[in-house]
Amino acid sequence: MSHSIAVDRALVVIAFKRRLAYKSHWFFGLAIGGGSMLIAMVMWQNLIGSGTLSGYDWDSMRAYTIIGFVAATMVFGAADWTMADRILDGHVAVDLTKPVDFQRARAAEYIGSMLSTFPTAVMGVVAAWLLFDPPGPVSPLAGLLTVVSFAFMFPLAFGLTYLSTLVCFWTKRYLGIMWLREALLSFFSGLMIPLAFMPGWLQAVAWALPFPHFTTTPSAIYLGRVDTAGALGLLAAEAAWAVGLWVLGWLVFRSAVKRVTVHGG
Amino acid sequence: MTLKRAVPARHVFAIYWRTWFAQIRAIVEYPADLWVMASAGAVWNILQFAFLAVLFANVPNVAGWDYHEMLMLSGLLSVAGGCNALFWDGAWSTGTMVIKGDIDYRITRPAPVIIQVGSSHIGMQSIGEVVFGAAMFVYGWIGAGIGFAAVPIGVLAIVCAALIQCALVTALCAVNFWIKGQASIFAFLLIELQGNAMKMPLGIFPSGVRIVAMFLVPVAFVNFVPVSVITGHMSAWWLAGIPAAVIGSVLLAVGVYRLGLRAYDSAGH
Repeated sequence: MSHSIAVDRALVVIAFKRRLAYKSHWFFGLAIGGGSMLIAMVMWQNLIGSGTLSGYDWDSMRAYTIIGFVAATMVFGAADWTMADRILDGHVAVDLTKPVDFQRARAAEYIGSMLSTFPTAVMGVVAAWLLFDPPGPVSPLAGLLTVVSFAFMFPLAFGLTYLSTLVCFWTKRYLGIMWLREALLSFFSGLMIPLAFMPGWLQAVAWALPFPHFTTTPSAIYLGRVDTAGALGLLAAEAAWAVGLWVLGWLVFRSAVKRVTVHGG
Repeated sequence: MTLKRAVPARHVFAIYWRTWFAQIRAIVEYPADLWVMASAGAVWNILQFAFLAVLFANVPNVAGWDYHEMLMLSGLLSVAGGCNALFWDGAWSTGTMVIKGDIDYRITRPAPVIIQVGSSHIGMQSIGEVVFGAAMFVYGWIGAGIGFAAVPIGVLAIVCAALIQCALVTALCAVNFWIKGQASIFAFLLIELQGNAMKMPLGIFPSGVRIVAMFLVPVAFVNFVPVSVITGHMSAWWLAGIPAAVIGSVLLAVGVYRLGLRAYDSAGH
């Protein structure tokens, strides 16, 4: 199968441009993400005040909430519906005839759509920085490792999303699957409430899943809640999940694709 | 094209239920979808429950509201959203119908367009939302020590919450008659922000937000006001505001939808 880097790049660019064509998505993403961030800020300010909760003071919680906003904007704003719709409406049959690897092509498109969320994320972060003046990273190295953890979020988000869209081979709709994934991600990533607030057993459950790497990992590195060795360990776990989910996606697709019966074929 | 002839209310209800039951028959044909969607609604509510349990393991109250009162707040909001998906999910299809010209068929039929559209779909996640939302509400009710005497108010609160939620979603979905698009972005924006903000006591927000939620887009009357009255955070006089919010929201929805139908020019013309 002749699937080259040039094909990946072309698919990334096409997906990126397709998303940029709908500029209302920027506003919409900013309104939802920014609104949710403001609500979280108000809640934590009210709860924490001048004290601390589970090791978070108001300063660190401001940074945590903004990191959560960036992660949510990137992950929830990507084009998972495009993937799911192609399976649901049968276009996947056409994709299977193309001389490109299905999973790799969807990954390129997904990453292109994730890149298109940058303007929303940047606008939101700038506005949040001006409004809330959060503390900077605990060290320049922590700042750099935080960026790396955000970069790992691309393959990780794809792995989760791809697996969930493959469920569409067995269902007629995608909405419920998306909600299920987003609900689990919101809770177990620490987006809804930091994992440090949870009892030990629930934290163990969360860390046994890939979700914490969407908010807890970058914020723990940024705020210095883990040392450099701990940060590198978290990044290694993130990379391992990215590889594991890719392999799992490949295995599930091999089984799922046998179910394709488009127009009785 | 508009249909001027008045349609008897009994006929309207008959049309609504007939369409709704037809949707139920369609749903049971696809059991995998039914279970995935019902599980999604259930998991979402279980995680809301878990969020509050985790939060209150760390803080004694939120702006004077305790754990059980907050459960009632979240539970009632879930039941309202669930009722919207169970009984009036078709409103979300307004934008798609406008773009595809699907409103054409509904204009020519002898039943109100809004009824036909509203009953054209059932969100299967509603099963999980209504069941687990009601469980949260009842668990919070018992835990907060509220007796049987307030049950009629609770029932009224649930009915009114469902009506306000359906009406506000319909009014915002009807915006798609003018701002064309498959997605009902304004309605989606409403439920996203409402889902985040209204599971919290309104008192933690700045006064501008409180005024908007109480009087401009009366989402506070869906869950915050009734639960505040039941738990004694607000005076019983506020109960009078709940039917008023229902009437206002329903009139708004019907009015915006009618104006939208006047502006509707089908597809491709």
